[in-house]
Amino acid sequence: VSTGGIATSFSLLDGSIAALSLAATLWAGLRVKRYIGTIESYLVASRGMGLYVGAASLLSTEVGIITFMYQAQLGFVAGFSAFVVGLITLAVCLLVGRTGFVITRLREMQILTVPEYFERRYGRGVRVLAGVLMALGGSLNLGIFPIIEARFLAIVTGIPSRYLGWTMAALLLVALAYTALGGMVSLIVTNYVQYVLLAAGTVAVTLVCLPEVGWGAMVGAVEGHMGGHGFDPVADLGAGFILWQVLLWIALMTVWQSVAMRTFSTRDAAVGRKMFTLTGFLFLGRALIPMAWGIAALAFFWARAEPVAAPAGATPGAQIESLDARLDETFREDLDAGRLQRALPEVDLLERLAREEKARSPEAARLEASARDRRGEIGLLAMPWMLAATLPTGLLGLVVAGMLAASISTYAGYFLGWSSIIAQDVVAPMLSGGTFVGAVPRKASELTGPYASPTHPGVSSPDGAALPGHTRLFLTRVTVVALTAFLMVWSLVYDLPGPAYFYLQVTANLFMAPTLVAVVGGLYWRRASAFGAALSFVLGAGASLAYLVPWLELGVATAGNLSWALAVAGFVAGSVLSPSRGAEARA
Amino acid sequence: MSWPSFWLFAFVVAFLSFVLISLVIAVRGVGEIRELFRALEEERGRRTS
Repeated sequence: VSTGGIATSFSLLDGSIAALSLAATLWAGLRVKRYIGTIESYLVASRGMGLYVGAASLLSTEVGIITFMYQAQLGFVAGFSAFVVGLITLAVCLLVGRTGFVITRLREMQILTVPEYFERRYGRGVRVLAGVLMALGGSLNLGIFPIIEARFLAIVTGIPSRYLGWTMAALLLVALAYTALGGMVSLIVTNYVQYVLLAAGTVAVTLVCLPEVGWGAMVGAVEGHMGGHGFDPVADLGAGFILWQVLLWIALMTVWQSVAMRTFSTRDAAVGRKMFTLTGFLFLGRALIPMAWGIAALAFFWARAEPVAAPAGATPGAQIESLDARLDETFREDLDAGRLQRALPEVDLLERLAREEKARSPEAARLEASARDRRGEIGLLAMPWMLAATLPTGLLGLVVAGMLAASISTYAGYFLGWSSIIAQDVVAPMLSGGTFVGAVPRKASELTGPYASPTHPGVSSPDGAALPGHTRLFLTRVTVVALTAFLMVWSLVYDLPGPAYFYLQVTANLFMAPTLVAVVGGLYWRRASAFGAALSFVLGAGASLAYLVPWLELGVATAGNLSWALAVAGFVAGSVLSPSRGAEARA
Repeated sequence: MSWPSFWLFAFVVAFLSFVLISLVIAVRGVGEIRELFRALEEERGRRTS
């Protein structure tokens, strides 16, 4: 690390390792397309997925470069307190795995998508409403992945910015090619290869970077530069944040489409449960390992920090403004060149001075918030800059291969997940027409009548009869292509207004709370009705969008918890006011 | 137990379990993929016959 910035040691050898891994992935993905003949083989690999490839597929889908980046960012800004998110994930996985909460019943129904359950339970209107919200939130959520990941690749590989767009387009096209042709079968095979690569890269980074910095230095950096915070999660993050994370992770593990598709693809419900128990510990690592990288990056750049003096000024207010003006000139350039050892102490000083002054000056309060945002920006890029500074040639290639594998597997998994919802739950029901109003099945054994099917006794999608399987398969493939095109355009035109973490949470929140509430209510509460489910979606999504209304000044955790509260309230009120016909008939 | 010791313990558990489970997946996954191919091949045979 020099005053001129950081130069990566990414070489032709590293590039060749990364390119070879991409070629191997593409080859493996395309090789299995001959197995695809039905919509069921395409979306859930004919439900033949075993425990270990299931765990690999689940993890590699839910770990991308963006995951490493925002987890490291959380470690950088919240210190060890961030680790609580990993403990919550582990606890939720073990709960779901041991009890089979939600997943067992959904798996037994042999559905292909989560909204398909809504049609069976509540009717077509709820399926389409849920499908639209999930497709919108999911696509927008995915939309910023290339923007963030391009920054990582630019830093670690040193690719000039003019080639970044083409690099990301090439990655998306690789994912598109094998996802569109081979569906879930391709995903399972490539996810296995990708998991091995990403696990090797993760272990390599940890074994090189953490000893380089030292655990003691990491603890020292948190103690010395976080103002007494960074260890106690309840005091630092708040009980509200922790509650919201618990609810969010329960929803993610049970009804998030890309995760649910892995549950639906397992050989049976028992394998599904074991898969969650096993992956609980991998999800713990998915959080804690990159968070530790973020803390290591904090210690790494503080250890090299350049001394910074408060600027001259007649009053504290003038000093703060002068420092802010200086940062306006240098911050962006420092960030782009990896001169975090200069940017970090300046941002830290500005934040401290502004905090002391904010009781007397609203302008100081604004500048404190601005300094916090800048600290977050440094936190997002500190880990990749540390990797660029510490990893040697050869190992860098292995790590980039692992990161690319993580990234492409996430694109592929999300392409299939969100396009299956767009095709199966929004477009297909509209094309097939009609409205199915059935009984109120709560588990597979209760599904009768129009659901009965010779291929899946007792269970069949009501719209399956209206649209032939090959048409649905074609529709899903077209949607995968359209989603990729959207992603390329969106990542080119969209300018992220604030921290990536908040954007990701808001877009996911749009449907997470009402989806879980409507699924759990439908499975475990006889009175649950279509009106309650629809009200839950409208109120839950509305509360999430309230975060974007500036004058409400809702924090992201408050908006998240409000979304849950309103989704539950709407569901209960709607179901009590207008109970399901099945419940009335039984009464 | 102090907070730093607790988080060090949590990290060691996370890292070691990540390494061990990844090794198991790498070894056992190959067999499962072969099994999946066999099942899909049989299904394809049934479809075409």
